Amino acid sequence: MSCYLTASAAFLPERIVTNAELAPMLGVAPEWIEMNSGIQERRWVAPHQSASDLATEAVRNSLQNSEINAGEIDYLIGGTLSPDFQIPGITPLVQRKLIGCRMIPTLDIRAGCASILYSLQLAQGLIAAKAAKNICCFGAEAQSKGLDLNPRSAEISMLFGDGAGAMMVSDQPCDEMSLRLDDVLIETDGNFAEDLCLRAPGTANGARWLDCESQIFPQMNGRTVILHAVRKLTEAAQLILERNGLSLEELDLIIPHQANLNLLRTLGKKLAVDESKVFSNVDRYGNTSGASVFIAFSEAQEQIKLIPKAKILILAFGAGFTWGAALLTKGT
Amino acid sequence: MLPNKILTYLNQAAKEARIEMPNQNSSLFEAGILDSFSLVEFVTLLENEFGIRVSDAELRPETFETMAKIEDYLSTAGFAV
Repeated sequence: MSCYLTASAAFLPERIVTNAELAPMLGVAPEWIEMNSGIQERRWVAPHQSASDLATEAVRNSLQNSEINAGEIDYLIGGTLSPDFQIPGITPLVQRKLIGCRMIPTLDIRAGCASILYSLQLAQGLIAAKAAKNICCFGAEAQSKGLDLNPRSAEISMLFGDGAGAMMVSDQPCDEMSLRLDDVLIETDGNFAEDLCLRAPGTANGARWLDCESQIFPQMNGRTVILHAVRKLTEAAQLILERNGLSLEELDLIIPHQANLNLLRTLGKKLAVDESKVFSNVDRYGNTSGASVFIAFSEAQEQIKLIPKAKILILAFGAGFTWGAALLTKGT
Repeated sequence: MLPNKILTYLNQAAKEARIEMPNQNSSLFEAGILDSFSLVEFVTLLENEFGIRVSDAELRPETFETMAKIEDYLSTAGFAV
């Protein structure tokens, strides 16, 4: 049974943090940030804003772009690395804030920057099982609140930004802009769980789950992450295309997780695709982790609109390591 | 001794960075010969040159940290270097 992405939208907090503002906090030059990441600016939430606030706005915007209302959502699936609370997850909070939303099942996905792919595969399965007709998937991050703004963490803290995106997945297309979800491929390699992690609060940290203050900041073995991201995303792209009888040349657009512009360029080179086919907005928003592909997908709609029967490939890689690909076709 | 193609790549990277090639046991990263992204290119070159696939477990910067470690890796993989 087919399912369709019928609407999408993003929501970004107002505050723009340029490299010129961030660089002195991290003890580096603004040009160094841009050279090493391609990022020029990112958004940060206001002190009163949480990830669920951003998510709720993105879901509302997505509903405005769709033909359904909040009461018609049957299932809410959300991903974040920066939840409002440790417990409960972000999705019950979004359900509460979304006026008109019924007491539907809500589920948090903790697959880092690849959460969108896990959400889509789950949505596809729920629709196939007739457990739901309209599923709202979202990703939201307010991770600026958890960055170590200190020279020792410059390489990681320069990357991240805040924002949210949402998409509606339904059992029916709504118009010619709907995208059929053809296939989703997801994988995990837990051997690298600690190469990209945020340890605390957590029960693997000793007697108490917040014994060491430094563990509250994200940690990343950048070189290992990049080596594996390029390998796994290349292989995922090749595998999903092969099992769907397609070639890279037949793709109209690739929407990868917006980790770092240098990574996107390396990936494009490895896949031997023209840079113009690889969507990028990392220069404006930085790496928004679990929200990144949702936001990118939403911004790519203008481009997709112009391509009849567009074939789109989503690629994402994140903590875990988790990674994968999704293949979409415009039209019914 | 590393094969010519590998040495040529490292020498060229050193030339572009206008630095001396470090000794066998010095870090290629600290010397500025390799960085996060040229490492991807370097591993691809190594895989193509030797017709191997570096295993996921060995796909870590530590494996390629120095010329001595690269030689060790290739030697363990069964190549005479």
